[in-house]
Amino acid sequence: MNKRWLELSVGLMMVAGVAALVALALQVSGGNMSRNAESYAITALFDNAAGLGPKAKVTMAGVTVGEVVAVDIDPNALMAEVHMEIYGQVNYLSIDSSASILTAGLLGEKYVGLSVGAEEDVLVDGDVIEDTQSALVLEELIGQFLLNFGDNK
Amino acid sequence: MNGPIADLGAGVLSKLVRMGEALLMLLQAIAVKPKTSSLPRLIQQLYVVGVQSLIIMLVSALFIGMVLGLQGYTLLAAYGSEQAVGQMVALTLVRELSPVVAALLFAGRAGSALTAEIGLMKATEQLSSLEMFGIDPLHRIIAPRFWAGIISLPLLVAIFSLIGIYGGHLVAVDWLGVHSGSYWGNMQQAVDFNEDVLNGMIKALVFAFLISWTALYQGYSCVPTSQGISAATTRTVVYSSLAILGFDFILTALMFGGAV
Amino acid sequence: MATDDIINIQNVSFYRGDRAIFKNLNCTIDTGKITAIMGTSGSGKTTLLRLIGGLLQPDEGRILLFGQDIAQLNRKQLNQLRARMGVLFQSGALFTDLSVFENVSFPLREHMNLSADDLYNRVLLKLEAVGLRGTRDLMPSQLSGGMARRVALARAVAMEPELILYDEPFAGQDPIAMAVLQRLIKHLNVQMQLTSVLVSHDIAEACAISDQVILLGDGRVLAQDSPAALQASDDPAVKQFIHGEADGVIPFHFPAPPLQQELRGQSE
Repeated sequence: MNKRWLELSVGLMMVAGVAALVALALQVSGGNMSRNAESYAITALFDNAAGLGPKAKVTMAGVTVGEVVAVDIDPNALMAEVHMEIYGQVNYLSIDSSASILTAGLLGEKYVGLSVGAEEDVLVDGDVIEDTQSALVLEELIGQFLLNFGDNK
Repeated sequence: MNGPIADLGAGVLSKLVRMGEALLMLLQAIAVKPKTSSLPRLIQQLYVVGVQSLIIMLVSALFIGMVLGLQGYTLLAAYGSEQAVGQMVALTLVRELSPVVAALLFAGRAGSALTAEIGLMKATEQLSSLEMFGIDPLHRIIAPRFWAGIISLPLLVAIFSLIGIYGGHLVAVDWLGVHSGSYWGNMQQAVDFNEDVLNGMIKALVFAFLISWTALYQGYSCVPTSQGISAATTRTVVYSSLAILGFDFILTALMFGGAV
Repeated sequence: MATDDIINIQNVSFYRGDRAIFKNLNCTIDTGKITAIMGTSGSGKTTLLRLIGGLLQPDEGRILLFGQDIAQLNRKQLNQLRARMGVLFQSGALFTDLSVFENVSFPLREHMNLSADDLYNRVLLKLEAVGLRGTRDLMPSQLSGGMARRVALARAVAMEPELILYDEPFAGQDPIAMAVLQRLIKHLNVQMQLTSVLVSHDIAEACAISDQVILLGDGRVLAQDSPAALQASDDPAVKQFIHGEADGVIPFHFPAPPLQQELRGQSE
């Protein structure tokens, strides 16, 4: 076994492996490794948070700006309380921003979409979003449709 | 009185003894300061264990990626979501298939070769010879092969994932007409480096440890006859495969268990 | 104990599982002589060799090598003793991925700091001593069994040890190869002033070159004497072995119930 070829091929294999890992990082995962930068927590209260769970995306204008950490009941308001972690760099969410629970594609994955409002002050750690739009529940939709349909008859 | 329960007990005890021996062998082999003089041996083993497994990894990855692309497209097209095929292929590979399939292939190819080689060295008394020359066979023979396994498999898994994703691209984009931008774009949205890629690498590392350890112990402790070597080689492949699949479940539950 | 004894085996017992391979074995190996250890298969000959080399530890008793109890030594001290002895394993045990030259130079590289020229010359001289200087660039797989054994011998004497252990050196060899090995063992013992211990069951070959024979059986020493004395011995066990008798102290039949009881269709 020629020693030079041996060392060369081992070197190539290691370079290829590391390059593959780098490629996976950049090309495949979109390189969002900067997750662990400073992030802040906000919450939002919804009438109905059906289908939303931890690790769901929080987006603004379709771009992921954070993730849902937990969904539980606020015993005082008797509403669903959704806790979210927003990336530190996203510090331009006005305090009158609204949050909606939306469905991604037909497969039904739920996520939170944020819409920025007009106020100058921005949301910081611990703030609560008040303007919310609940999840669309299929039964309610059908009920509404039948109601309208019935009206028009 | 040798009833079946006594036999079962004896069997369990002997397995435990073997595990203890295996652990001692491993600790003795790796608990040593690295010397520059052992580098050439490590490189030699990286070649035997890693480079020589490349071909089977590349070919398997390509075909698995292509099959995933094909199956994924067919399944998703029923929901009109064929644009998501990129993300399906990538997640399947990176989280599960790359580490597991690559590890199974590695156990079969490199693991069995290691066991057979060491078993043969034992049977032809080369290991005893080394000892009589004052050289610890655990340091000289076992250790470089162990580290070569630990280093090679994760690298091979990364390469496996990449080639597989490319294979999926070949089928989905070049053949079935999925939009290339969607293929990569959806993928990038869905695949998280820490959550998915890194967890896959951790799996690869765990599997590498299990396979290398099993293969080397089976070779080192085999009955030094041709039948003994053959039995040990079979055990390496079987035990490694079971360990890979078992630990895959445990790791998957730990890593991805909570996610929706 | 005389300081003449290079190996001293005192009350050694060794068990494999439940079976006693040796029970209270006592014998000594004299310095400078060729000693043959003989016995039937399973009498523990190879085990004894491994015990002497420190590859196995006795369950009871002790083994003194160069006057030191090998069970008491740490790894480093044991390796220092091992550097003073060479072992020729039954299969030669050449390292299959190294050439003949690299095999013979192996101990020299590991333990000594020789210049490249000195190393080269030494290896050539050792190969010359076993008559295989011309094979130095061949790989072990290209050698015949006898030649591999001779290369292994060259490797065993590379460090010029004081003691050599041979494990069944004549087993499976053709008559010429056997004669060659006999000559080598005798020559090396004289030229290099070694002590040689060979384990064998080739009576004629071993007795022809040994100064002393130790006959093992039943986990103990059956006889320890010069080859001539053993040939003349009246002891039934010794006689059976030395003269190659099919039946005697060691029976022809494996223990079993009487034949009449085992045949079928016999009226009781």
